[in-house]
Amino acid sequence: MVDVVEDQSAASVEAPRMPLFRMPAVRAPSTLPMPSSECVIRAECLSIYYGSFAAVRDVTLEIPSHRVTAIIGPSGCGKSTLLRAMNRMNDFIPNSTSKGKLFYRGQDILRPGHDAVELRRRVGMVFQKPNPFPKSIYKNVAWGASINGYQGNLEELVENALRQAALWDEVKDKLQDSAYDLSGGQQQRLCIARAIALEPEVLLMDEPCSALDPIATARIEDLIDKLKARYTVVLVTHNMQQAARVSERTAFMYMGELIEVNDTTIMFTKPGNKQTQDYITGRFG
Amino acid sequence: MTAHFVDLLDALRRRSLRMAGLVEELVKESCDAVFQADAEKAKGVVQRDNEVDAEEVQIESEVIRLLALYQPVGSDLRLLCTVLKVNNDLERIADCAVNVAERARHVDARVLAGPFRDLRQMGPIVVHMLRNAVKAYGTQVVDDAQKVLLEEDAVDALYGQIIRRLVAEASVSPEKIASYLDVLSVAKNLERIADHATNIAEDVVYVCTGEIVRHRKNSLIGDARSHRG
Repeated sequence: MVDVVEDQSAASVEAPRMPLFRMPAVRAPSTLPMPSSECVIRAECLSIYYGSFAAVRDVTLEIPSHRVTAIIGPSGCGKSTLLRAMNRMNDFIPNSTSKGKLFYRGQDILRPGHDAVELRRRVGMVFQKPNPFPKSIYKNVAWGASINGYQGNLEELVENALRQAALWDEVKDKLQDSAYDLSGGQQQRLCIARAIALEPEVLLMDEPCSALDPIATARIEDLIDKLKARYTVVLVTHNMQQAARVSERTAFMYMGELIEVNDTTIMFTKPGNKQTQDYITGRFG
Repeated sequence: MTAHFVDLLDALRRRSLRMAGLVEELVKESCDAVFQADAEKAKGVVQRDNEVDAEEVQIESEVIRLLALYQPVGSDLRLLCTVLKVNNDLERIADCAVNVAERARHVDARVLAGPFRDLRQMGPIVVHMLRNAVKAYGTQVVDDAQKVLLEEDAVDALYGQIIRRLVAEASVSPEKIASYLDVLSVAKNLERIADHATNIAEDVVYVCTGEIVRHRKNSLIGDARSHRG
């Protein structure tokens, strides 16, 4: 498949003119409803195409709430495409079409007319490379809320998001500094804080540590472990050890198909499928 | 994982199997030393235990090195864990063989021929169990491992008979207690060897199926067989 990778380098990113998501007028962070259903996102016989090429083929997969689900597989297996479908980011890719169903909280998000802007607020995304806006640390976190007319306490919202992203202690005295002054790992946590500030229910993470050093990676992994208490996390990663360390469920994809999904411990000790076994032990891929 | 790792893992497995072969030999020699009152064989067993000890350390070091450097998963992880556990069992078996061999100078042949004939039966069964366990470790076939597990009951039964006979004979002829203690020592060490052989067989089931069948007896071994893939 053609694994479409957008340029997420910090220097090239500008704050988008049109909102990708919409903030509720007033909502204190403490009132965020916790998911009640076990399954937050469910793909049913989902196929995703780039032109005539099927990047994702007939995938049926459930994402349980308050768990970290990792999607692993070799380059081009369709894992990022599947992830991006979960908040309709594939809409921005020309010639991308889909077949089958993809439910978020029981609503088919691929249905024509579904509110993708609201979906992206509920299902946030963190990209491979940290992509802060060329603004202050404070404005990076507050931006989404402020452009949507958030009427609550913005400072409280920013502090809360930065605390949840385990960044507050490091930046509380320099909130007006440029986000670009932060290290790569701090920038990535800032991006997580930015996503959290929109009060999502699900966080999609597309290789969030691939551009970070081992120390920064460990910080993000610790953070993911804490975030699952409040959010449902779907993590795409090339790093199998990372999937093993941070996720409770692991899905293995190969050539667009979902080969196996199971508890992470089982996937990495006694996978049921030979292709999974061969991939995780490095016999192919 | 790289082809290099696969080669290293295979080399380690073969090295562990060679150690298993050596230990199997020591057990057989120790039984011969006791039952044939062969002091030379007994001496040989004690000397060669040093080889086993050295090999145990080398293999353990290699397992730790591979775990640290390659962080294996799946069947590779199961195999490495099994090599580490079997390594420990083999070293303990060799120690038991030394304990048996050291009784060769003391055991009274008349006692072995008389009231404690069961001990003579126990020796070959234990040697056979260990041989099957090592074979299963080599082939990694669950059926081979199960044969070992089925033999364990026979050894336990013989050991129980010997203990009961010892108690009875010691009360009748307390002056022979030193000789009876030699018998007890040999029986106990053979029974321990059978236990370690069982451990190895159970580890083979784990490496093949991913199921931990320890402490679950034979019915669950059957379950593991049906789930292997």
